[in-house]
Amino acid sequence: MLVNKKYVKRHAKGFVYLHWINAICFFMLFLTALPLYADTFRFLYDMFGAKTLQNAHRFFAVLFVLNPVIGLFTARGGIWRMFSEVFKFNGKDVTFLVKFPLELIGKHPEGIPKQGFYNGGERMNIALQLATWAALVVSGALLWFGDGLIDNSIRAWMIPIHSLCAGIGFAGSIGHIYLALVANPDSVHGMQDGTIKVDYASAHHGEWIDDMVREGKIRQKDLDEVLKP
Amino acid sequence: MAQEITMLHDVARCSACRACMVACKQWHDLPADMSTSFEGQYQSHKDLTSHTWNLIQMQERIDSKGRFHWDFFKKQCMHCGDPACLNGCPEEAIEKKPSGAVVINEDKCVGCGYCTTNCPFGIPKVDADRNKSTKCDLCFDRIEQGMQPSCAKTCTADAILFGTREEMLQKAEERLRMVKADHPDANIYNPQGVGGVHMMYVLPEKPAVYGLPETPATPSSISIWKDFVRPVGQLASVGAIAGVLGLTALTAMRRKGDK
Repeated sequence: MLVNKKYVKRHAKGFVYLHWINAICFFMLFLTALPLYADTFRFLYDMFGAKTLQNAHRFFAVLFVLNPVIGLFTARGGIWRMFSEVFKFNGKDVTFLVKFPLELIGKHPEGIPKQGFYNGGERMNIALQLATWAALVVSGALLWFGDGLIDNSIRAWMIPIHSLCAGIGFAGSIGHIYLALVANPDSVHGMQDGTIKVDYASAHHGEWIDDMVREGKIRQKDLDEVLKP
Repeated sequence: MAQEITMLHDVARCSACRACMVACKQWHDLPADMSTSFEGQYQSHKDLTSHTWNLIQMQERIDSKGRFHWDFFKKQCMHCGDPACLNGCPEEAIEKKPSGAVVINEDKCVGCGYCTTNCPFGIPKVDADRNKSTKCDLCFDRIEQGMQPSCAKTCTADAILFGTREEMLQKAEERLRMVKADHPDANIYNPQGVGGVHMMYVLPEKPAVYGLPETPATPSSISIWKDFVRPVGQLASVGAIAGVLGLTALTAMRRKGDK
């Protein structure tokens, strides 16, 4: 089931939207809270007004929460796959992570075991983003609505937790963007129309391609044709 | 008046006349606050608001011996010695005056509400219209002119006392001795976990009876946030961006070399 004899379908449209809405929300949330995080960005409050940015932060926070809820209907398959794959961490992932640093400068090192739908690095990023999403949502909700509901001795901890998760999520997302745009530019295609090049898929997600062949979703003949040097 | 001062509320003497509430509103030019609808109760306002910085809480209570009590408590900013609101303010908009009064500088305040969250007593309230945090300022402007805070000045029951810290600590001990006979649980509320308070109380009952925490403390989460999370987060973010830019240059050079 190749697309245009060159691409293979990786993500459904719904999942692509889920990803981009989540990305936009995260960066807008980060940007609108930045003056509280670093004094260097105080000028944003002076430029837009503190209240405007704080209201925008709440607006994007609602979207940030609603997006995956809507995704349960529009991107069910992708979400299910994400959760089912993210906890499958095995020896192959360890080998992947040992050899992975070369990928950072766009090389594809020898001896990397075949990776599934998500490789070890992607699974780590997904786990990190899922954990920070949950921690950001819970801590943010308690900061927004928790007055009078829980004691301030607990609620005060939500400030460092919220900030820490924002920092970790941001640093992680910078690495993610770099890998998608610079190191492996073919991968970002999967988040455009949902397809990725077959040769890229075969090199980076060989196990997944093998599974597709085994399940009859891709004919071996077609695959050999595309991968022919 | 650069001397450290303290205000004392002798709860046993308070008659809940609420003149102190009126005096506070008058001095600070605070508008009427209709946020609590009248439901036949004596309690004027449910809680402090951005327009009500000083509130007499009225509570009906029946003790273990079946005796009826009416507890009055002057709720307001405690003016802590180690103020959580000040320590946790990202804009450095809260100042502790030499007198001990903890005061919000509205010009610097951005209404983020961190002071509300960090305060162990939940005192500051953000004014939604002006997007500024608000609370009792202990009439610091009056103090600096050698006057008493307006609430203390107006109290006719001699329940709100004001003076130097030494005088008030002494007075609190005196008042405690007077109520101790009838109220064995009576105590002076001056919690050390927040560095002591400049709004001190002589409570006839345990603090919990008045909705006060027994051992409040300035949260350690503040220093973790200010001294660890913020700098580490900034470093990680700048490091990630710098690292990625460096790697981009390396990748470009390698690809150029491959060609």
